[in-house]
Amino acid sequence: MKKIKFSVRLFKCAVALIFLLFSTSELFLLSCTKKTETGSSFHPTPYTIQIPLHFPTVLNIPSDNPMTVEGITLGRYLFYDGRLSGRPGPDSLMSCSTCHIQAHSFVCGIDHPVFTGGHPHGLTGIPTPHFMLPMINLVWADHGYLWNGMISGNNPQSGYRTLEDVVGLVIMIPQEIHGDTNRTKAMIQQIKGYPELFDKAFGSSIVTEKNIARAIAQFIRTLISANSKFDQYLQGKVQLSDSELSGYVLFMTEQGGDCFHCHGGDGNPLFTTNLFYNNGKDSVFTDPYDRFSITGNAFDIGAYKAPTLRNLAFTAPYMRDGSFSTIDEVIDFYSSGLVWSPSISPLMHHIATHGVRLTPSQKMDLKAFLLSLTDSSFIINPAFSRPSKMPGE
Amino acid sequence: MKTILQGPKIIILLFTVMLFFSCTKRYECDNERPTHGNVIFTFVHQVNGGSLKFDTMLYRTAIGNNYMVNDLQYFVSRVSLRTAKGKWVSIKTDNGIHYTDASDNNSCTWWVNDILPVTSYDSISFLFGLDEEQNTSNRFTNPPESDMFWPDMMGGGYHYMKMDLKWKNDSMTQSLPFNFHIGIGQVYIGNSVNPDSIIGFVQNYFKVSLPCNFEITPGNYQQIMLQMNIEKWFDGRKSFNFASYPNGMMQNQEAMFYACLNGRNVFSLVTAK
Repeated sequence: MKKIKFSVRLFKCAVALIFLLFSTSELFLLSCTKKTETGSSFHPTPYTIQIPLHFPTVLNIPSDNPMTVEGITLGRYLFYDGRLSGRPGPDSLMSCSTCHIQAHSFVCGIDHPVFTGGHPHGLTGIPTPHFMLPMINLVWADHGYLWNGMISGNNPQSGYRTLEDVVGLVIMIPQEIHGDTNRTKAMIQQIKGYPELFDKAFGSSIVTEKNIARAIAQFIRTLISANSKFDQYLQGKVQLSDSELSGYVLFMTEQGGDCFHCHGGDGNPLFTTNLFYNNGKDSVFTDPYDRFSITGNAFDIGAYKAPTLRNLAFTAPYMRDGSFSTIDEVIDFYSSGLVWSPSISPLMHHIATHGVRLTPSQKMDLKAFLLSLTDSSFIINPAFSRPSKMPGE
Repeated sequence: MKTILQGPKIIILLFTVMLFFSCTKRYECDNERPTHGNVIFTFVHQVNGGSLKFDTMLYRTAIGNNYMVNDLQYFVSRVSLRTAKGKWVSIKTDNGIHYTDASDNNSCTWWVNDILPVTSYDSISFLFGLDEEQNTSNRFTNPPESDMFWPDMMGGGYHYMKMDLKWKNDSMTQSLPFNFHIGIGQVYIGNSVNPDSIIGFVQNYFKVSLPCNFEITPGNYQQIMLQMNIEKWFDGRKSFNFASYPNGMMQNQEAMFYACLNGRNVFSLVTAK
């Protein structure tokens, strides 16, 4: 009897839904028959991210910018196109790839011919507030972007919440491309090939600031690195060397290097928690762009995002201020260079001895393990590289 | 013409709205009453009878260590309710596992979707942490739970609890961090704490049973407030001295043993109306 009554309720709801669908069918028809301006129906090809072993299944993809093959294709062109600056002169070209270089896991690299010591600056010469974070696995970035997490879903200010917003800001701010959105849009619009690419990606050949950011963000979300020697070790395909294994033990033990609490490991293969810590590097804090500047919590003074350690071999210099040029210097710092401050992260529990006090051989082992996180296939992946022919060429 | 066509549409829409309303008032329609109820667990955190205040050196242990709490995250599992007739009802929602971050209000409330019998209940039990069957590595691939992972070489699975503190006794000039972390313990041969010297693991999870008296009534959510009295981690059967474990707890089974000994009395049931 109860089942019958339940079925009646279900039937009523179903009838109601059917009526609702029919009464609003015009809306549905409109959405289904959207056509591109070249006349073809707008059916971009959905792109599915393949999730590597043990990586998070929750992806940071906004619902209003689903991944599509066409969007990624367009984003890749734009990422590498110096005309994004909106300036025609050969010395005024600047794109994302001017600083984000694939060979350096999408930082500019310590040996960059223009950005001395790996510290980039914008077209007008104004340096960025911080050194660069590796542009790896950002589709899993879940606590905001940039060293201080300023661009975050929690930001009450619209335009400062998503990866799309990061791209939009980068095009405009003086420390980076310092573009004029109208000029950029006009320039991209007039380049043969781009209107068609926009049409295929977004159903309109009109170049908009929003769609530029959406396309580039889609491309960035495909930059996944998950094929290091350590990944292959976890998959049972290769064995780590004795030194790498010893380093792995140091990395993963509290009484060893105690790296895993902030940088992940076998249970968190991103090799970052994406959270913010004062790691004991400084006791005097003058940077106005630390985590405190976002949260106002005194315990966030001097705190910054823990960067991923993947591809560390390519991403020198290290720390938000580029303090360390080599991995050895970083290990030395965590071994004996920590300084106390009231806001030091409680996870830096070796502060009483200024660090984890590794022996020289332990330092070598830890470095060997860190280098096993190198994914060389990532830096030569043709899907991430500059297209052989750009629109208009 | 347009007006003529809009007339039937308005009628259809009105009809649809009426149908929806008729569906939501289900109990009045057919006199059917639900035969089950449900529970909401709320996790509250106190120190010395007051709500936990993070990041402030407000608290003091019985042996004279001042401390503050910076982070507190933990798992409870195998949550069960016992009816007054003695039958245990296991919570199935989320496999009976709940992760709490004391600084995240959303995680401090657990809406249980189980169908619970309408009757009187007199006891709640749960495991603090995760048992061997449930504490499997890579069970959780998404944060925040995945950030609780406990390295495989130290036993694997997940931290039962991470409570990050800073402490200072009266003779110290600066506070020191302390990671009050509990998970699977290790037994080492000799004095080494290298994983190569591990000869066994210790499951440190423990069962908490709390008497209570509440009714699950038809169609209602019964709120159950589980309170962690944080000071009891340090001032229980064994006075816990942070100074005794300068290298942390994760590789010190003695420290985790004492923590768990105290932990059995850390929880209380505040409300079960």
